[in-house]
Amino acid sequence: MNNNSNKMFFLFILFFSTLISISSNSWFGCWIGLEINLLSFIPLISNSKNLLSVETSLKYFLTQSLASINFLFMILIKFSLLKNFNMNNIISIMMNSSLLMKMGSAPFHFWFPNIVEGLSWMNNFMLMTWQKISPMILLSYYFNKNFLIFMIITNLIIGSLGGLNQTSLRKLLAFSSINNLGWMIFSIMISENLWLFYFLIYSMMISMMISLFFLMNMYFMNQLFINNMNFFIKLNLLINFLSLGGLPPFMGFMPKWIIINFLLINKFYFLTFIFMMTSLIIIYYYIRIIYSSFMFNYFKMKWVNLLMKNNMSLINLSSFISISSMILSTFIFM
Amino acid sequence: MMKFLFMMIFMIPLCFMKNMFWLVQMMLFFMMFLFMNLNLNIMCFFNMSYMFYCDIISFGLILLSIWICSLMIMASESLFKLNFYFNFFLFNVIFLLIMLYLTFSVLNLLLFYFFFEASLIPTLLLIIGWGYQPERIQAGMYLLFYTLFGSLPLLMGIIYIFNDLNTMTIYFLKFFNMNMYLLYISMIFAFLVKMPMYFVHLWLPKAHVEAPVSGSMILAGIMLKLGGYGLLRVMIFLQEVNLKLNYIWIIISLVGGLFISMKCFCQVDMKSLIAYSSVAHMSMVIGGIMVMNYWGFIGSYILMISHGLCSSGMFCLANINYERLHSRSLYINSGMMNFMPSMSLWWFLLLSSNMAAPPSLNLLGEISLINSLVSWSNISMILLMMISFFSAGYSLYLYSYIQHGKYFQGLYSFYVGSSREYLLLFLHWFPLNMMILKVDFISIWF
Repeated sequence: MNNNSNKMFFLFILFFSTLISISSNSWFGCWIGLEINLLSFIPLISNSKNLLSVETSLKYFLTQSLASINFLFMILIKFSLLKNFNMNNIISIMMNSSLLMKMGSAPFHFWFPNIVEGLSWMNNFMLMTWQKISPMILLSYYFNKNFLIFMIITNLIIGSLGGLNQTSLRKLLAFSSINNLGWMIFSIMISENLWLFYFLIYSMMISMMISLFFLMNMYFMNQLFINNMNFFIKLNLLINFLSLGGLPPFMGFMPKWIIINFLLINKFYFLTFIFMMTSLIIIYYYIRIIYSSFMFNYFKMKWVNLLMKNNMSLINLSSFISISSMILSTFIFM
Repeated sequence: MMKFLFMMIFMIPLCFMKNMFWLVQMMLFFMMFLFMNLNLNIMCFFNMSYMFYCDIISFGLILLSIWICSLMIMASESLFKLNFYFNFFLFNVIFLLIMLYLTFSVLNLLLFYFFFEASLIPTLLLIIGWGYQPERIQAGMYLLFYTLFGSLPLLMGIIYIFNDLNTMTIYFLKFFNMNMYLLYISMIFAFLVKMPMYFVHLWLPKAHVEAPVSGSMILAGIMLKLGGYGLLRVMIFLQEVNLKLNYIWIIISLVGGLFISMKCFCQVDMKSLIAYSSVAHMSMVIGGIMVMNYWGFIGSYILMISHGLCSSGMFCLANINYERLHSRSLYINSGMMNFMPSMSLWWFLLLSSNMAAPPSLNLLGEISLINSLVSWSNISMILLMMISFFSAGYSLYLYSYIQHGKYFQGLYSFYVGSSREYLLLFLHWFPLNMMILKVDFISIWF
């Protein structure tokens, strides 16, 4: 059901719902946007012929509607009982918690790897990138700084340590997404522009990797060694994962560098240390994925042959962008 | 300065053309010749342009890196003959050279960090891509994680300095005094791991042994010196804390150097022995830098240059044996003088330079270091005496085991030594032993 106009319709409503949510004047509009988001995402991921898809969409519905109801309730309490703008109270904690649960951030993350395991790669891409936009921006409107700093630490630690024992590529990217949520929540606390910068680069890197896995139809780590990958595909995989880990000289270093800059301006020294050490653990399991790209000759199956001749230009272009974007980004200052 | 960067960037398309393996190596020699003709000024930064500069120490280290990279390609002829991804190998070498060149010549401290980290990626690719044993994966992991664990706090320190001083230019750092203990630890820990100091040295034997000859050459030749260069640049603005706390690093590295020198006698693997001898030499370098007198700086710089040439030459020799016998073990590589007597000459020349025999540059470095360390404290005489003695000991041990005695009976035939290999070793030995005749341009820094 790839070229289905039903899916186009729901995709359009999905995009529109996020725009409703982030551009509304009142908290009710935000809530309406979140509900329409949930409503239009469910048909996109459920496929009545596949029992796993149905179960996944049901789980997604339950968790997201719980979070939405919570959000609505907190909005109503905020309107009716508390007329102040003080951000350090229990209501802001509850509102932030419900939004964090919508995003799949720790400590409300338990649904996230589960659901990511049941979706296909393109649906995962939607879940990991687009679905984070509206809860993030709503978070920036009314956040409790102390609570969010604690949530950031939890996110980083769970995202890094949770992925250590995984073999499914989708769950690995889910935990990496939880870790990157920690970076993104901090950037939201600084400025929305900074979050947009981090989010755009993150979604570009995730899209490169997910499109690569989608084209090769790979869902598990052992498939990395079975497939007979072309040299350029291996190189692309290597570059993308190292870039996602934040190693220089690739593109993924730049958002992390800028966020560390703002962390140190605001004197969050210990938090910076936690950011860095957890990113080391993340780089460890990324490198475990790309072992097959590092070693040029390994035991390959001859009968599995990938015909990727039509898509080579996209892969080469994405590798080139990842390597050279640090240098090319200096041209914007000319 | 930028002209060399463009020359290297435009050598990259040359790597991918057919039958251009030796042309790339020749172009690197040509670039070395052009670079040597830069105007050299002492006591200042010269050749400054947009973001580049040159100082005596960065001049010498860039020369060393271009030299070692061109010798790396000369040593890896087997990759070309066996057609084992040599195009990508050439690209890796040129990319690594670009990153090293930029590390030593950018004015901005953050860009220094950027290229310092970026030089790890091609090294990792060299070790895991072209190494020989399955243990190379673990070796690459150790290399990457030890170095990253040290250098992420360095990033924090650099950004903290930027927020405080609003400048990152290396030249201006000498006017400031940032005397904070935590900043001190975060800035120098990266370089101590890279050097390596005794307690954080575990990555080095693994990485040097599992790397192919080109990887071993560049690791021993230049990557360790990045740590020394970083220390020389960063200690300028931390002087008060240095005077209070440097004794810790001196003691750890000297005593550690002693232990490592003794451990060299227990090694069976040739490359492992050379790797541990690298750690012992570098321990003296750390000691010399940390003492913070002029002889210490100069002695450690001279020892860095000479150790780069000497260790890299010894790894070439170990590889020459490995390509013929397919083993690095001392039990199998014995009695080589019966088969390759000319190679025995080169073993002797390079190992005698390793033990700091005259007239090699190591001798000058060790003498300056001994002077500076003994002027710091008389008790370090004991440690230095034992380190120098043991370095002579294990160099002779390696020479005698490999060359003398009865040869291993299970050998098949192999040829004696091609001209390329002799040229390779000559080009390692010649600067090492002839530069002692004119040491002004490596020993007058400021």
